[in-house]
Amino acid sequence: MGELLFEAKGVGKTYGSNTVLHDIDMQIYSGEVIGLIGENGAGKSTLMKLISGVEKSSMGEMFFMGKPYSASSILDANHQGIGMVFQEQSLVGSLTIAQNIYLGREKKYSTCGFVNWNKMNQDAKKALERIDMDIDPSKKVRDIDFAARQMVEIAKVLDVVTEAANGHAIILLDEPTTVLSDEEIKKLFVQVRNMKEQGNAVIFISHRLDEVLDITDRIYVFKDGEETAVMQTEGADVNLLYEKMIGRSTTGEFYVEHKQTVPSDEVILEVNDLSLFGAFNHVSFELKRGEVLGLCGVEGSGKEDVCAVLVGDAAPTAGTIKIKGKECTFANPYQARKKGILSVPKERRDEGMIGILSIEDNIIVSHMDTLSNHSFLSAKKTRRIAQEWVEKAGVKCVSINDRINQLSGGNAQKVIFARALESGCEVLILNHPTRGVDVGSKEEIYDLVRDMTAAGNSIILLGDTLDECIGLSSRIIVLRDGLVTGMFDCPVGEKPLQLDIVQKMM
Amino acid sequence: MANSKKSFHISDFSKYMCLVSIVLVFGVFSVIIPNFMTPYSLQNMMTEAAPLLLMAGGMSFIIYTGGIDLGAGAMVSCTCVLSGVYVAQFGNAIIPIMLAAGILMGLTNGLLVTKLKLPSFIVTLCTMNFWSYIALNLCPNGSEIIPMDKRFMVQWATQKVFGIPIMFFIALAGVAVLYIFQQYTVYGKAIYGVGANVSATRLAGVNTDMAQISAFVISGACSALAGALYAYKLKSAVPTVGDALTLTAIASVALGGTSMAGGRGSVLRTALGVVTITGVTSGLNMMGVDPLWKDIVIGVILIIAVCLNTDTRGRDLIVK
Repeated sequence: MGELLFEAKGVGKTYGSNTVLHDIDMQIYSGEVIGLIGENGAGKSTLMKLISGVEKSSMGEMFFMGKPYSASSILDANHQGIGMVFQEQSLVGSLTIAQNIYLGREKKYSTCGFVNWNKMNQDAKKALERIDMDIDPSKKVRDIDFAARQMVEIAKVLDVVTEAANGHAIILLDEPTTVLSDEEIKKLFVQVRNMKEQGNAVIFISHRLDEVLDITDRIYVFKDGEETAVMQTEGADVNLLYEKMIGRSTTGEFYVEHKQTVPSDEVILEVNDLSLFGAFNHVSFELKRGEVLGLCGVEGSGKEDVCAVLVGDAAPTAGTIKIKGKECTFANPYQARKKGILSVPKERRDEGMIGILSIEDNIIVSHMDTLSNHSFLSAKKTRRIAQEWVEKAGVKCVSINDRINQLSGGNAQKVIFARALESGCEVLILNHPTRGVDVGSKEEIYDLVRDMTAAGNSIILLGDTLDECIGLSSRIIVLRDGLVTGMFDCPVGEKPLQLDIVQKMM
Repeated sequence: MANSKKSFHISDFSKYMCLVSIVLVFGVFSVIIPNFMTPYSLQNMMTEAAPLLLMAGGMSFIIYTGGIDLGAGAMVSCTCVLSGVYVAQFGNAIIPIMLAAGILMGLTNGLLVTKLKLPSFIVTLCTMNFWSYIALNLCPNGSEIIPMDKRFMVQWATQKVFGIPIMFFIALAGVAVLYIFQQYTVYGKAIYGVGANVSATRLAGVNTDMAQISAFVISGACSALAGALYAYKLKSAVPTVGDALTLTAIASVALGGTSMAGGRGSVLRTALGVVTITGVTSGLNMMGVDPLWKDIVIGVILIIAVCLNTDTRGRDLIVK
């Protein structure tokens, strides 16, 4: 083991009252590849953001090369020798590869404001050759495929950090393999080993545990923003990692399981052989009255796309959707709502809340056309409805005329739930309904979900965590790479084990 | 905390800005010009304000959606010419005919914006030329006067009841209808929703295309009615009457405190904005200021008004 490059002591991050990362200790040695694993939302990406200078830590200290370390921006981190290859690609499509590699660093090629493109291209060529890539650096990024873009990104980061700290740089790879083919992954791993031999350290995040076991020397396991295990890769196996990732067992009480209803036999929604090109294929299921159907899968498994199709936000390329036995197609969410499908969207601020409108308007917006008398709304009626929901859902606000963006995340989410319930739609799609919501509001939201099914609504749930999905659902469908890989019944008292579901997910 | 106090102060000011500016404008001018507040001058201002009230009132709805109609002035010119030329033939039936024409023009804009998913300022900048073409084509030699023997048909609009021009009553009725539409109908709510957050409103299952189209249709109808009123007021078909009116209408909306980013505002506030602007232009006229200065003054007012209304954090996106 080489010298200690980087150390984190008790690092954490809070957003408001919400702690997403808590008390993390981490050591990175020179010439080491570290694996970082955990479920979605476990805090892996947050930690990477803190190290790479995207965000500031709320607590704890970090040291780089023995000195206290803090980075005010990505560029600042780069200059100190820490670089990150992002999950969402950060290249500019309309610029050339060389321009992207030297973006923000053009100064060394310019005289009197004129850039010496030839020299930049030559240097870019060298930077690309360092990772065995043979590609013309004057090509536009949008003209090359995703895998090549990923490699360019790596070349860029590598170039920046070696310039700053040759031989003791730290490179963070956030799920670099998701868009790569097996062949390309092999190539990438060769490069990772190269970097390592030069004395650099690499942090490798992936959902694919076999890769993590293959490439890393040590593994950190995160769960719910905490570090649950650190282990040597030697001696670890997939099952051990699963166990550490999942951790604590479910508590039925938290998910109000005593109120879980047994679904009736009446089929409300029937999906047959549904496909969306490039996202998912041959998805079929039935949704019964009073049922909570959980959709599980890692990011990119296609579950989000299934939702998008069901709410009319995307048109399926094949397959049928039947509501109460009648075949339907929808061109937009309006038509889907008319047929009885409405969603509580994932991105609450951007897709859920109509920010500068009042709580009242936000509650009635999905119901107002049926509520109205020849398009005219009675102010008295809408006010009464809004008032009732605010009391029933326990929204903490001064009055129903408050703007929804003045509410806390949990309260705003309750308003959006009220909207969904008020809409009269029988099929409700809850997309990460408790994302960024505090624990107290979570319980109230779970209670609302139970009320929905008791009232005869059917729910498709994309849980924020697997735990939540199992706790709330009466049945679970697992998706992997756009295909249904498993189906689990989850009656009260006989909930499936997380381990079984995770194995189908990955 | 200091920050929130400051932003509260600014939003508070923009809330009452239209009232403050009315008092300011009328106060200053009545000091400078002795007969500014005489009944005769006020009657003039009312006739002046009537078409603008309708036009700016309609424009408000497009601005609620976060869009803009740069062709509203050209629509006014077009319908002014159509009314002036054909009133002799159709009589007062020309008003409902113009209303229909306005709805059609608005519908064209609305369909182009929603179905082709184009920004409204591009669409209206382009369709504007159609409306101008119709106006200029029908009146190639400049204004055309309504023949003397047909004047009796249009006389009523400028006549006064209780000292107030009938035109002004029409405009007030128009504003009242717009207010009811904005406040108490499904479309009104949907229009605000589109301006506030179009993707959330869409995912809430609201027909956002329909909402946008209805905003354009209302604006078209209002502009057309305004055009007809101009023909009645000027007793002629003037193909350039609307040229400067787009700016004036937008300035009135902004002065009323309606956010250019959409989602907020009221036609009542726009009406107050119109009163202010009319006060300014009439005052400048009575002072004998070169009319060329009028547009410059209105331009300056617009910039100040938008500046005061815009979110200081810079999160408002103007013109979607």
